[in-house]
Amino acid sequence: MTTAAPDLEALHRNYSKTTYLWGNVTMVACLLLATAVPFYLYFSTDLGIEVSHIVTAFIAVAAVYGVFWVVEPVTYFPILGPAGMYQAFMIGNISNKLVPSAIVAQSTIGAEPGTRKASYSATAAICGAAVVHVLSMLVLVGLLGTWLVSITPEPITEVARLYILPAILGGVTVQLIATLNQVRATIIALVVSAVVVLLIVPFSPPLVKSFATAIAVIATIVITWYARDRKVRSSSDTAHIN
Amino acid sequence: MVVAQANSTDIGIIANAPLLWVLAAAVFAVILIQSAIYMLAVKRNAQAADMSQAEVNASFRAGGVAAIGPSLAVVLVSVALLPLFGTPPVLVRIGLIGSAATETASASLAAGTMGAELGGEGYTQAVFVVALMAMSLSGAMWQISTLVLTPLLGKGSDALSRVNPALMSIVPAAALLAAFAALTITEIPKSLAHIAAVVASAIVMAICLVLARVLSQAWLREWALGIAIVGGLIAAYAVHHAGFGAA
Repeated sequence: MTTAAPDLEALHRNYSKTTYLWGNVTMVACLLLATAVPFYLYFSTDLGIEVSHIVTAFIAVAAVYGVFWVVEPVTYFPILGPAGMYQAFMIGNISNKLVPSAIVAQSTIGAEPGTRKASYSATAAICGAAVVHVLSMLVLVGLLGTWLVSITPEPITEVARLYILPAILGGVTVQLIATLNQVRATIIALVVSAVVVLLIVPFSPPLVKSFATAIAVIATIVITWYARDRKVRSSSDTAHIN
Repeated sequence: MVVAQANSTDIGIIANAPLLWVLAAAVFAVILIQSAIYMLAVKRNAQAADMSQAEVNASFRAGGVAAIGPSLAVVLVSVALLPLFGTPPVLVRIGLIGSAATETASASLAAGTMGAELGGEGYTQAVFVVALMAMSLSGAMWQISTLVLTPLLGKGSDALSRVNPALMSIVPAAALLAAFAALTITEIPKSLAHIAAVVASAIVMAICLVLARVLSQAWLREWALGIAIVGGLIAAYAVHHAGFGAA
């Protein structure tokens, strides 16, 4: 292990170049293939869908998630590193699967967070996670999924179809509150959302309902910002934020 | 041409079209190819990170094993969502790229603009296509901004947090909390069974997280969402069949 330092830098440049080039190529391919799915349905069926329907629906989704298109890549970049970014935003399930996998791998080989070793280890770990995930999805959902649904009795399928959304949301919200551990923002979000959804929406025109979540998000951000603990900020120089 | 009717609620007929299977399989192939290229890049250049080949393999294996629990949880959610979206869209959107929570919430928001709700009376083929379009375009925006931002972030990664660290620490968390709080509370007035699903799922999740911490069982945290969903559905089943279900 007496390789000269410049050679190691060349190796790292080679790694960066390969992951950057192929990250871009594979992500663009993935983007085109995945977006082709709804467009194929739109053009192959005649369901009387107008472009305005799609624009309105897209705006409703963008109003809630638009900020995450930018915020999420920025948030995950320090954890994943450049190479991991191209993997994570293709494979999905970042916070519930990929980031935990990377952390487990880094602690297994004892790589310090923020080092080059940690970043390489995260990339290898995400490759392992991708293989496991792709195989389980292909076999259990792709091949056996419809069969699994078909052997499930109708009343259970019906209940699953009707109530899957509240069954996911209750758990995810609790997990989110526990993970973020921000008492003040949590209380503000719950109160603001309850006021918007239960008090404002029922007495407003139907249009308001489409944007209820967006209104709650914006109001919560503004109130949380003005109600933030300013003492914490003033002492942030000393790196004792928590 | 696929036989389709604007008012039909048979999603499976259009959602399982052969070409969609081909597209879904192609997305999986691209991800496997990417993983192979990246794994080779790590192996060949591992020395630059002071990493042995054994450590490279250990990382790959650890990542794979850690992913088993979350992957099965995603499988569970995906199977439950098959009747709503059909197999190829579930594989592409929930299995890959997005996540169950984001995609279901997006679809729900999109269906709402058509005056329908997921799986409800008005959830027609037309509503399904509009919802799938909205979630796909939103997912595309995520990937486009990743493509644009990654090189920029690589050049000056901490510039943003230097400009205003407080803003960057508050906005994402507040936005996430409010989005899920609002989406969850929207379910409350629908029926007693909806309330049962939300409350049971929340309680099961809380129990799992507490047990995971007290007993130091990390796997329980990975499995928690899958278990919470099952708990929520069992509670909804009981209340629905007691006659307090959705109209």
